[in-house]
Amino acid sequence: MHQLASRPPLDQTGETLFSLRDVSFSYPNGTAALDTISLDIAPGDRIAIVGQNGAGKSTLLKHLNGLLPTQDGTLTYKGLPFDPDHLRKARLEIGLLFQDPDDQLFCNSVEEDVLFGPLNQGLAPDVARSKCEAALADVGLEALGARPPHRLSYGQRKRAALAGLLAMEPEVLLLDEPTANLDPQQEELLLQRLKDYPGTIVCITHNLLFAYELCQRTVVLEQGRIHHDFSLRELVSHRAALRGHGLDFSFRFVEQALPENGGSEVTTSPGSEESVVAAEPLVSLHDYSFAYPDGTEALNGVNLQIRPGEKLAIVGENGAGKTTLVSCLMGLQLGRGLYRLNGETVSASNRKQSCRTVGLVFQDSADQLFCPSCAEEVAFGPRQLGLDKVETERRVGSALRQVGLEGYEERVPLHLSGGERKRLALAAVLAMQPDVLILDEPTAGLDPDGEERLLNIIRNLDVTLVLVSHDLFFVRQLARRTVVLHDGMLVQDYSTESFFNDANLTTLNQLDFTYRNRCGLEIMKLQHEHEHTHLHSHLHEHEHRHGDQVHSHPHEHEHEHAHTFSHTHHAHPEKPVAAPEHGHLPRADKPHQHDHPGHEDEPHDHDH
Amino acid sequence: MPEVINPTIELPLYILLVLLCLLAGCFVLAMKAVKNMAAALQEQPDAMLPLVDATKPGTTPLHRWDARFKIAAIIGFAFLTVSLHRSLYIGAALLVAAGLVSLARLSWSRSLRRIMAMNGFLAMFLVVMPFTAIIHPDDTLIQFGALSSWPLNLRGLELAVQIVGKAWTVALLMEPLLATAPLGSTLAGLTRLGVPDKVAELLLIAHRYIHVFFGELQRMRCGMEARAFRSGFRLGALRDYGNFVGMLLVRSFERTHRVYDAMQARGYAGLMPQQEVGKAKAADWLKMILLVVVGLILLIGDRLAGGAA
Repeated sequence: MHQLASRPPLDQTGETLFSLRDVSFSYPNGTAALDTISLDIAPGDRIAIVGQNGAGKSTLLKHLNGLLPTQDGTLTYKGLPFDPDHLRKARLEIGLLFQDPDDQLFCNSVEEDVLFGPLNQGLAPDVARSKCEAALADVGLEALGARPPHRLSYGQRKRAALAGLLAMEPEVLLLDEPTANLDPQQEELLLQRLKDYPGTIVCITHNLLFAYELCQRTVVLEQGRIHHDFSLRELVSHRAALRGHGLDFSFRFVEQALPENGGSEVTTSPGSEESVVAAEPLVSLHDYSFAYPDGTEALNGVNLQIRPGEKLAIVGENGAGKTTLVSCLMGLQLGRGLYRLNGETVSASNRKQSCRTVGLVFQDSADQLFCPSCAEEVAFGPRQLGLDKVETERRVGSALRQVGLEGYEERVPLHLSGGERKRLALAAVLAMQPDVLILDEPTAGLDPDGEERLLNIIRNLDVTLVLVSHDLFFVRQLARRTVVLHDGMLVQDYSTESFFNDANLTTLNQLDFTYRNRCGLEIMKLQHEHEHTHLHSHLHEHEHRHGDQVHSHPHEHEHEHAHTFSHTHHAHPEKPVAAPEHGHLPRADKPHQHDHPGHEDEPHDHDH
Repeated sequence: MPEVINPTIELPLYILLVLLCLLAGCFVLAMKAVKNMAAALQEQPDAMLPLVDATKPGTTPLHRWDARFKIAAIIGFAFLTVSLHRSLYIGAALLVAAGLVSLARLSWSRSLRRIMAMNGFLAMFLVVMPFTAIIHPDDTLIQFGALSSWPLNLRGLELAVQIVGKAWTVALLMEPLLATAPLGSTLAGLTRLGVPDKVAELLLIAHRYIHVFFGELQRMRCGMEARAFRSGFRLGALRDYGNFVGMLLVRSFERTHRVYDAMQARGYAGLMPQQEVGKAKAADWLKMILLVVVGLILLIGDRLAGGAA
């Protein structure tokens, strides 16, 4: 192969980078994924493609990289359609970051993987190697180049996959859910790196806070069609539009808007605080440790008691030991120390009985669902418990109803959306009627609508709850008590309110939500600015007519036009949180003044 | 025709029992080693598999050896070893293999654990062959008390020991062959020796994804156990196993599509890009010749000793 010292880009023959005209696509099973999509993407654009699960976002992204052929309509990149030769060249300058880094890291070491793209570009090995080293340094993995991907953490793998693209110096980056399953620190690292990237970005995400930081423009897809194509500021500031597309994440800001109300606001109601404190512990760990065969101490002297009815959150950075702790509570792992469940000591002989008392909803629902129908999936647990057919059917019906999936009995779990699968996994666990319900990262991969539905379902469950999550909003909403794990040790055990007021939170546990909070506040402010149309008076100078005479002088007159109107909220005393109804009062520091672009040029008559 | 009488040693029966107990002990140890490795595999999926990938660059002569020459020399030596007939020379070959492991500064505990894992299988030869080998004239037999009709043939025992020795030698040779270079380099060496590119790519990707699929399998197994799954040969359990395997296949199939998409997205057009290939140096030739000559000396010695005998 002819080797290059540097790769010349394809000639830019038009103003737009990508041009799609009436692009439609259906999968072989008949599912229509894209419906007459017309879209122009200019060089330097940063576009967030948003929409509910199944809206056609991934299909659109695969079209932009030529992984899916255009069935109807036209798609051009730099003015040319994707014929085989153009496609081959285009792929070398269009980087696609997959949601699951394991799909993308197919070589046996990080370094080999990062070299894959540059060598395919025809670069000389020494040039490719220097680009590889630079890309690895860029994502902070310069010391891990020789490692096989399976020995990296999830966040490291995600960054390694990004390095594989950056080494190719692409003109376009296509990102598919780049923040999925990342902890806050990893998310911010990724964000910073992408902000520094100079090219065009097209990003699919449910994480609108991330999108708000990274992108200026947004395309809203629904059922394969483009419903909106405007600025991200416009999208996030119109709550009605967000809600209409199942993207309204504003429910997350309700408490932020009212910080004076004091943080934790758990709305579930299983028993009083006093009764919880007085009860015997359901789960009791005493000096509990666990080490993996390679010697890694995943848990170190953990002491934890969970009483019936408690709502507990376990937080900590990736690798803190949360999943190991959950595995031990489930009896999937057995460590050293004392573990008592419902008063009985859990040992090697009876640990597999723990799952009769403790139910776990996995982070990835796919790990938990394997039956050919939803009814069979939910019936699996009760069948294993030895329940008779009548009772099993009763529990199946009840569990599906609880999670809003009645009527889904014969549906195939594999064909459900992400949110539906998560709820099905929850139903499958609820059908076993566990005393303790553990939710491992329940919001991972869900769109905002799915998150809100799940939140409402969990709120209404009368069960002892253990929530393992990086999502501090869910922690705030669902947990009264929070324990913080760090390096396998339980370093804090306090009320959720104290947790949110803990100044050491960021430094100790990398649970840094600074940018998320900043974005959240900005978006809230945007949502509180509305465009009104109403008559009002202004003093200004422009040409106007008095009968036959035309002249110009400053004067005041009334006219009607739309303008942005900043205002403050004054909370309803009766419904401060649940129903944030509000009136609009002009802000004291901003009286009713604004520019009237173009108004002076409009010839018009009015009375003097 | 005069009747041939083999030299016979008579021993009390308890000696046989002691020997069988010793073998059983070895078997238990081997099983324990396998279990430990399986446990390690659950948490660190690459622990049980042969170390087919050096993750750290080494400085030993084996690490610096061009993959083509290393493959040719070590595979050649392995073939010469399995051609040996005499225990003494097989022992010498085993020492050479152990020497190569030491020279490459590889982990002895890892190598020994793998040998222990093989021993369960090899123990069968040690038990069966002494009692089943065809009795030749001059074979020495050992009779154990009342079991005189089942004599232990020392030649059969020696054959079994030779098989064990050869198996250990080849297993040890795989360490310096595979664990002293990244798998990509080893496979590049293989392709340059004439192995088709597609086979090398298949091996490369299989090695990468065996860990990913094993991880998925583990998580799905946990998913079943977390819902009180009772294993066994009940009809219901068999149906659940079927669903489990089916879902694993579906997920694997979907992943292969995504992986292929990811490869295409970065310019894959049917051939993995070749990385830098170093030129053969005199030292590479020298090391290869040295190892092959050692193997040939052992073979010639073995044959000559056989002829003299």
